[in-house]
Amino acid sequence: MSRLRAAAPISVLAAALVAVLATGCSAPGKDKGSSGDDTGPIKIALADAQSGQLSSLGAWELKGVKLAVQEWNSKGGINGRQIELGVFDTQADPTIGTTLARKIASEGYIAMLGTAESAVTVAMAPILKQEAIPNITSGQSPGLVAVGSEFLFLNGPTSTTYDETLAKYIVDSQGLKSIAMITNNGSYGKGEHDAFLKALGTRGVTPVADQVVTTDQKDFSAALTTIRQKNPKVIFLGAEEVESGLIVKQARDLGITAPFAGAAPQGTPVFLNTAGAKNVEGTIVSSPYLSNDVSDASKTFAAAYKTAYNEDAELHGAKAYDGAQIMLTALKNSNVAKGKDLAAAIRATKYKGLLGDFAYDQTGVGIFATSIGTIKGGKLTAAQS
Amino acid sequence: MRYRLALLALALLAVLLWLLPYGLDSYSIHVVNVIIIFAVLAVGLGLAMGIGGQVNLAQVAFFGVGAYATAILTTRSGLGFWFAAVLAVAVTMVVGLLVGLPALRIQSHYLGIVTLGLALAFTNWVTNAQIAGGAEGISAIPVPSLPGVDLSSEYLYYYLELIVFAVGLAFGLFVVRTGLGRRLRAMRDDSLAAGALGADVPALRLTAFLLASIYGGIGGVLYAGVIRYVAPESFNIANMFLLLAMVIIGGRQSLVGCVAGAVALSVLREALVDHPTVAQIAYGAVVVLVVVFAPTGLAGVPVRLRAAIERRRRGGAAAARLQAFQRYDVEPVQPGEQAPVLLRVASVSKHFRGLKALDDVSLTVVTGEIRGVVGPNGSGKTTLFNVISGLYRPTLGRVEFKGEDLTGKPPYRLARAGMSRTFQNLRLFGDLTVRENVLVALDRSRTTESWRYVLRPLSVRRRDQRLRAEADGVLDQYGLTEFAGLPPRSLPYGTQRRVEIARAVAAGPALLLLDEPAAGLNGEEVRQLNEMVHSIRDSGVTVIIIEHNMGLVMTMCEQVTVLASGRIIAEGTPAQVAATPAVIEAYLGDSMSDLPPVPTEVNQ
Amino acid sequence: MQVFLQTVIGGVSLGAIYALVALGFSLVYRTMGLVNFAHGNVVTVGAYLASTFYLSTKLPFALAMVAAIVVTGVIGLVIERVLRPLENKDFDLMLIGTIGFGIVLDALIIMIWGATGRAVPSPVPAAPLQLLGLRIRTYDLVVLAIAAVATVLLVLFLQRTKRGAAMQAVAMDHEAATAVGIHVGRSNAIAFMIGAGLAALAGGLVGPLLYVSPALGGTLGIKGFAAAILGGFGNIPGAILGGIAIGILDAYTAGHFQGYSELVTFLVFTVVIMIRPTGIFGERTVNRA
Repeated sequence: MSRLRAAAPISVLAAALVAVLATGCSAPGKDKGSSGDDTGPIKIALADAQSGQLSSLGAWELKGVKLAVQEWNSKGGINGRQIELGVFDTQADPTIGTTLARKIASEGYIAMLGTAESAVTVAMAPILKQEAIPNITSGQSPGLVAVGSEFLFLNGPTSTTYDETLAKYIVDSQGLKSIAMITNNGSYGKGEHDAFLKALGTRGVTPVADQVVTTDQKDFSAALTTIRQKNPKVIFLGAEEVESGLIVKQARDLGITAPFAGAAPQGTPVFLNTAGAKNVEGTIVSSPYLSNDVSDASKTFAAAYKTAYNEDAELHGAKAYDGAQIMLTALKNSNVAKGKDLAAAIRATKYKGLLGDFAYDQTGVGIFATSIGTIKGGKLTAAQS
Repeated sequence: MRYRLALLALALLAVLLWLLPYGLDSYSIHVVNVIIIFAVLAVGLGLAMGIGGQVNLAQVAFFGVGAYATAILTTRSGLGFWFAAVLAVAVTMVVGLLVGLPALRIQSHYLGIVTLGLALAFTNWVTNAQIAGGAEGISAIPVPSLPGVDLSSEYLYYYLELIVFAVGLAFGLFVVRTGLGRRLRAMRDDSLAAGALGADVPALRLTAFLLASIYGGIGGVLYAGVIRYVAPESFNIANMFLLLAMVIIGGRQSLVGCVAGAVALSVLREALVDHPTVAQIAYGAVVVLVVVFAPTGLAGVPVRLRAAIERRRRGGAAAARLQAFQRYDVEPVQPGEQAPVLLRVASVSKHFRGLKALDDVSLTVVTGEIRGVVGPNGSGKTTLFNVISGLYRPTLGRVEFKGEDLTGKPPYRLARAGMSRTFQNLRLFGDLTVRENVLVALDRSRTTESWRYVLRPLSVRRRDQRLRAEADGVLDQYGLTEFAGLPPRSLPYGTQRRVEIARAVAAGPALLLLDEPAAGLNGEEVRQLNEMVHSIRDSGVTVIIIEHNMGLVMTMCEQVTVLASGRIIAEGTPAQVAATPAVIEAYLGDSMSDLPPVPTEVNQ
Repeated sequence: MQVFLQTVIGGVSLGAIYALVALGFSLVYRTMGLVNFAHGNVVTVGAYLASTFYLSTKLPFALAMVAAIVVTGVIGLVIERVLRPLENKDFDLMLIGTIGFGIVLDALIIMIWGATGRAVPSPVPAAPLQLLGLRIRTYDLVVLAIAAVATVLLVLFLQRTKRGAAMQAVAMDHEAATAVGIHVGRSNAIAFMIGAGLAALAGGLVGPLLYVSPALGGTLGIKGFAAAILGGFGNIPGAILGGIAIGILDAYTAGHFQGYSELVTFLVFTVVIMIRPTGIFGERTVNRA
């Protein structure tokens, strides 16, 4: 063991010395930073869950954004520069989200669209803020507003708006006060639960039942039977498309006839198919995008969407389309600005979108109203009120 | 020579790792930081699963506890990062012990599903608990502060991680190469034999989980410091299986392999980051390929290469040879009339659901005896041994050893009291070398004193070196020196038997139980065995031997006890026993021809 | 009271699915001595195949199920063939090999069918039965009936046929089995095939109950495995009992502990297994050391 010759320790020492000197000279840290390029394509990143349980949202987002980008590119892009869309898969995992945020920054993207999950967006927000990359997200949780980043914008209303409008319709307009709630404990469901409860609270209404289920739950007999016993006139749903569909299906099997009420997920075809068209008849939906026939703009959008993807457009695609349009408009208005300037440009953009009229305030929210629709004959139509 | 090269290589690696950040952009260094965290977790998982043999599918939950604890303590309680980090690791260790409790009752796939379930339970709890931020997690964890160093820079954070990782890996390797690691590996290879040699198996199982949780906690702390956001999704089952794949691909029995696996798999996923589905197929396929074609993983590759080269080089050179057994340097002593009673078995019965394997068996063995226990197959001999050595709890009766009532105590307690045994079907530790097998027996340190590893590592190291010298002495005595560095399964059967006896005697017992030591041995080997047992007895060890080889029993034993159908049917000197009619009847058709010619009464 | 009873009914309905999954686990263990961690993923494959045959090619539901079972059986054969070198040699490694296969299957499902998933309409359109204010879905009764029939058939197969006895012999002592002329490889292949078929049966049946997506087999697999262990690993009637027990436990904790239901379910499971590691009907596997 101790037959070391002098050569070995000396060479080790020498190597260590070199390393220490090198380190002492300067701290590491250099970026490829190809964003200095002012003539190449404009790089915009789209980060969403393209795999995993929530990948349907990611797929819809991609379609909506691509449609907008293609429209602009076919008209010559912005200032003669084409728009390059980089698609990143967050797998709905906040850790991966943070890694992607750094990748997006280091590869020279100047703006980001997505994600559709509030938790992942919140995780990425500090990094995007640090790198001064504006982000228009499809999340709707009030938690996004709480982040307080000047670079974060929403392409739709927050849960507060959805549920305030819903509560207004159900309680004020329809006079229904016997309301049950069933929500899940995911970030969307929790947000909905709190927002709706608050909206009811300001009207002096207490729900007759407040059941919480997990995101993975498959059997809702216990929760639904408890609700059935209270005989509510309407049941509020705070869960994603598939789970809320299962809840409705099982509720009807248990003999519950009361209509359901909910926000964005209730306006999607996945919800309808999972529950069964017959079972969702009469569901009250609070959504800024009730159907593709709501206006001329939406009809054009839906037609283009159908041509491009052979699928019917829906809320998430429309939201993503609006968000992309806003981003591109801001880029044009600001002459392809970056960082703080781009953020300011987005904030200043007034845009008439598929969801409504966007006008951003300091919190990054641009739209403050939704519409109420009911599902009749398998289709979502505007409610008469 | 090899040592110098290794040191040089290590120094070179250290320099390269120190200079790594200079060549990377901000994204790549972030990826490297995440890889290091996974490497730390993989080392922990390797310690529990590869070294300790405990299926631990809760490692991702330990990771989560560490991260969440740091997050909660810094954001909710306003504690400083480093203080919170220490507390977080402590909390993770407590959780690790709790999760390890089921391992005291169940193992293998049962333990797998329980730990997996507990991992899911953890995710469920943090999704609901207000203090953990629910589904949205906890954000804005403060940057750890170090005077003069801005740790919000991922480049500088890398150095922190590198140092923590290096210390962690070094500690892990230290544990593996010394007594605690050997005992864990012995338990993994054969927990029954390990217990019989004095290894406190329940404590070792808990220690395996404790070790895993320490690394899990440290990984969690590092994660909280660099990502500064914790959410339930980051600690899901998919990541657990990813960790498992890393450990398998790298080679779970080697900590360096675990690190290699973590790096390799992370690099693979990074290369395919734009095609996550393909990446998933790739890494699943690699797991299957490794398992089928290279079960020892990446770490096993250099070993197998070296072995192949050795084989080619050695070719005709002589293989290791068994040397002669060297007698113990003592005066042969016959048990006197006043020899104290060493073992007293009092009216022991053992029932297995209606089958009476032992029925009211009583025997007394005095110090210095060589007692033979014989009987036809199924007469209860091994059951008797199992009751004496603590493997079975007797249905009725008492076992007194050295005057103390040790009925039903677990095997390791009896081993520590001075009992040692060999097994009928050879229970050597397959993945330990011959020397390490002996070292496990020699090492009398208690698992509960493992705190020495942290507080007094030098004393642990000194002790280990002393034990190695002792082990070499034992191997030399038993003629096994040339086999010292070989795994037992490559040895000829007779040599393996000798290793088992050497191991049992190395434990320094007062009582040695030999279960059919002559089975499968040829005439010359039996003669050597006889010589060995006599010498062992002369050195002060009392011997009880179960044997079928009548010739050996007659020449070796002073007293013989005969069992048949769970009852003692005769006891006395070999000659007396051979003449007893009941014995002859029991043996009719059984080894009749092995009986030496003694006058018998023909029973008509 | 009504809440309690209806909860039990809901639990039994899901429990029947867990039971079918557990049957597959127990059968493969009983006849190969192997724990197949890819089982949950095979359930998902079965669900996708059955729903594809039912929705796209418009086969009647029963036929779609049979087709799915056949195709999935082939997949089982493939997995067994690849892992054959490890059989009876290293139990732990083979277990991990099945985990690897599970990961591959999961990715293949996403590649072939996309990540979104589809809803499957119930093939039994009748309205739920009403009994004393409780409601029982007719489809649930169908599932229970099929599970019961499957159990009986399996028990008969294992106890009354030569092939079944041979398969159990292989698990007990594969060397002895070879010695008496049993082709161990073929026996294992058939065992795996039947196990995969059972997984497909479970998957196909659960499709109309829930929603067919890549994540379907995940929790079903874990809960099914827990059910198999609860009933006594390798014990066929035990798998049914274990499945129903887990289903009811699940439904009950969901009612009482709401969001914390998973936590409670797994804690209860851990405690039960620690008290009685062999499960309800299993054999002693705990060794003292």
